[in-house]
Amino acid sequence: MRYAIVGFGCAGFNAARAIRTEDPSGEIHVFEQTGAPPANPMLTTYYASEAINFNAVFPFGTLEEIRAKYDFVIHSEVKVAHVRAESRELVFENGSVESFDRILVATGARAFVPPIEGYPSDHAFLMRTTADAVRLKTYLDATPVRKAVVVGASMVGIKVAELLLNRGIETVIADFAEFLFPVAAFRDVAEELEERVRSRGIRFAWHKGVAGIGERCVRFSDGTELEADIVCLCIGTRANTELVANKEVVEGEGVRVNRGIVVDEHMRTSVFGVYAAGDCCEGKNLLTGETMIIGLWQNAGFQGDTAGHNMAGANRVYRGTIPHNITHFMDIYFIGIGDNRAIGEMVTYGDIKGPLFVKAVQQKGCLKCVNIIGSSEVGGILKSFFLKQLSSAASAHLPTVQRMVLMKNGLPADFIDLLEGGLR
Amino acid sequence: MKYIFDLNTENCVGCGACSVACMDQNDTDTERGEKPFRVVSTLEQGYRGETRWSYISVACMHCEDAPCIKACPCGCLFKDEETNFTIYDNTNCIGCHSCAMACPFGAPRFNEEGKMVKCDGCNDRVKAGLKPACVKACPFDALKMYSEDEYKQAHPARGIHDIVQQLLRQE
Repeated sequence: MRYAIVGFGCAGFNAARAIRTEDPSGEIHVFEQTGAPPANPMLTTYYASEAINFNAVFPFGTLEEIRAKYDFVIHSEVKVAHVRAESRELVFENGSVESFDRILVATGARAFVPPIEGYPSDHAFLMRTTADAVRLKTYLDATPVRKAVVVGASMVGIKVAELLLNRGIETVIADFAEFLFPVAAFRDVAEELEERVRSRGIRFAWHKGVAGIGERCVRFSDGTELEADIVCLCIGTRANTELVANKEVVEGEGVRVNRGIVVDEHMRTSVFGVYAAGDCCEGKNLLTGETMIIGLWQNAGFQGDTAGHNMAGANRVYRGTIPHNITHFMDIYFIGIGDNRAIGEMVTYGDIKGPLFVKAVQQKGCLKCVNIIGSSEVGGILKSFFLKQLSSAASAHLPTVQRMVLMKNGLPADFIDLLEGGLR
Repeated sequence: MKYIFDLNTENCVGCGACSVACMDQNDTDTERGEKPFRVVSTLEQGYRGETRWSYISVACMHCEDAPCIKACPCGCLFKDEETNFTIYDNTNCIGCHSCAMACPFGAPRFNEEGKMVKCDGCNDRVKAGLKPACVKACPFDALKMYSEDEYKQAHPARGIHDIVQQLLRQE
């Protein structure tokens, strides 16, 4: 069998490794554009803040180490111009064409930048790729910066703001939204987090849609401006679907694409022999039953692994996941699980200003959203329970072992009863 | 040889010997706020008009397809090819707690530097032919370590390993 993997991040690496375990003699061709080994976008802020060294951004090792260990043919800095899905061919930028038995599209996502007057600019920065992190760090090391604006009250935005603050830079986080982590946090939780972050010296500007970047300022759509020596755009990401999303598919229907490439539980796209995994694809959101991009490192790993095994003939299923995040900033841990817009019965534990606070929304006894400030141990178990409820029934109970660990971590029995829907 | 930890909850009386042995083995400094890798819990529950007590000793379950390994953004967690224990090298750990968020049992701990530490199954002891400290200390044979073959033959009743497998299948 000849396999092609287009894109070599977390999903691509996991897929190639899984293929190798299923098919020891198959030809695995990996096509990647950067000349670098798989990098983790989440680590870019940690590198820029000097928490880790450059090599640590590549958690699977160097390209040479990966080649030596797994016997993949890695075509570095090769640009695939187009995937002909129906005929399972890759068209390269130089016009050459190669055909494969199975193709995985694992092209990831890129930082999203809306139309902004004055962008690109030498003092406007993104934070998605290793190159973005190097560019920001190099600039900050060489240039005196007094004031910065981070556009985007996102998980990346808060980390960028933290690293700027640690360099003594006056920093404002601006967002069109009304509060911090608008797709993960309940409003009151977000306001508490905002207060804690404000007390460290970061300011916020809400209802601000970025419209332009000037010489020493950021302009917003409401006509206001903020002074800024640099601007960091952490607005969000967009899936890299272009390779399969165009209309040049040889025959038949093309690969189905919404916001991402739509896949089933086997990571198959709508075209036979073509798979997708990672941040470029939409797997199942178990909370809604719909497909959705859930851009998480772990999710990409499971998706890539599943795709790889199945490309080589196995029958693996990855059911999907739910939106969830843990964010660590300024000695604060915030966990969001599920849909923060969910309306239902609300249960809370702890003082929102204390060391451990849990707030959950349930519908008919089932968890729909959980926010936690303080404890990752509690977060891991509640995420597990959330998934258990989704895979079984509303009356699902926590196994005794998990109940005991929750209690050991400070949650009282009567609150755990409430999380179970009060049925116990 | 791959190994499996199991706890027979019928035999566990919650004495805490396993946890003390774990702290001793791993030099856990509780006075500096470090948490033991293995914890023992007691649960009191009403059941048909009676009060029942359950005891459990919990540490890393060394899951077969350990979710913490895929969740770690830095590649710090991996399997020991010989023992199958989930072990780690926290040199590049950024303290993000993604491993804890992935763990259904609250197993990862974090040291003073904020870096992840956890039960490694006493990997070095086991490779040297010794029992893990917690297993050696258990006075009631509740906590055991089996080879895969031994486990298949014994398949202990009321073992915690089965519950773990069931939970992981739901994720």
